[in-house]
Amino acid sequence: MAATTVKIVGLGAVGSRVARQLASSPEVGTIALWDSNAPKTQAVAHSLGAAAKIDSSATSVELAPKLVVLATPVGTHVELAQAYLAQNISVVSVSDSVEDVQGLMGLDAEARERGVSVVVGAGFSPGLSCVLAKHAGALFSQVEEIHVATTGTGGPACARQHHRALSSISIDWRDGVWQSRQGGSGRTLCWFPDPVGAKDCYRAARPEALLLAPAFPGLERATSRVSATRRDRITAWLPMLYRPHPEGGPGAIRVEVHGRIDDRSDVVVYGVMDRPAVAAGGVAAVSALAVLNNTVLRQGAAGLAELVEPVPFLADLQRRGIKAAVFEGVTV
Amino acid sequence: MLTTIRRALVAFSIAGLVAAVLRLRGAGGTPPTNGGWRELSGSELR
Repeated sequence: MAATTVKIVGLGAVGSRVARQLASSPEVGTIALWDSNAPKTQAVAHSLGAAAKIDSSATSVELAPKLVVLATPVGTHVELAQAYLAQNISVVSVSDSVEDVQGLMGLDAEARERGVSVVVGAGFSPGLSCVLAKHAGALFSQVEEIHVATTGTGGPACARQHHRALSSISIDWRDGVWQSRQGGSGRTLCWFPDPVGAKDCYRAARPEALLLAPAFPGLERATSRVSATRRDRITAWLPMLYRPHPEGGPGAIRVEVHGRIDDRSDVVVYGVMDRPAVAAGGVAAVSALAVLNNTVLRQGAAGLAELVEPVPFLADLQRRGIKAAVFEGVTV
Repeated sequence: MLTTIRRALVAFSIAGLVAAVLRLRGAGGTPPTNGGWRELSGSELR
């Protein structure tokens, strides 16, 4: 097992965190790295030490990786995943783009046939949000609604995707059909774990519903919202007016699950507060280790709500400093 | 004039009845609005 090679394609805010998380995992022997920015690749390889090797291209398999983590900008994941799938190599994708997620989910039949895994949306949101939904779902006899809200962004690619998502069409799951709504609409005040607190959140082109609906049979509603300021909503229709920060500040996710426990309706709210790129790196690394250790629940392409057992997954994240919380309501 | 008032009263009554039915039979509970966050630990992660 110590000789296992994992390749990481894309070394931005998330990819470099995945590399560091995996470098400290005994299951991984060699970390193959590739990024279009050669000096950055060399810098990350240097920081990781002898375990890191620089690969020659995005789709190269010279270093014989058993698994590839895709942390490139959105829009590139489906093509890269297809290339690795053709070599019978499992893939973990951190993309939060609706188009990427739809394309990757479409690889399910081929991935099953080849006996490999394509973990779709293995980041902060989607990713950790799906694991929290699954964890909350275990408390119910029937899950009826899941509402996810996210605040904060990781690196520049994540900030650009947040900008695009607010002016694009959101996809909600409602009563067994997909429902399209305009991004930037549907303001909801959401309370995130401290110290983030309350934020106004809006519909946006987020892929959570695409990943959650197949994982919860009988689910009536699945929605996803992102926090935004007035300036975000107004400028969402324009090109980004200024270059995004190298890394955003603290972010958070909140997952609200409604369902039935016997004959009673109830609500459970889970959340996480962390730097989105750090948490996404941890989630992608733990997802990769789940595939390498054969602890995924099935082969094929799916989100984390379908692929992993939430309790050991969250416990591993907690050991890495990414801690989930529950909102405990007070009867008034 | 009386007919208009009568129609308005009927419309308000029907709207009230529909709202009451939806309020009482609506799916899902009400999310908690007071309280605080507590880190998951122990048996919740075993």
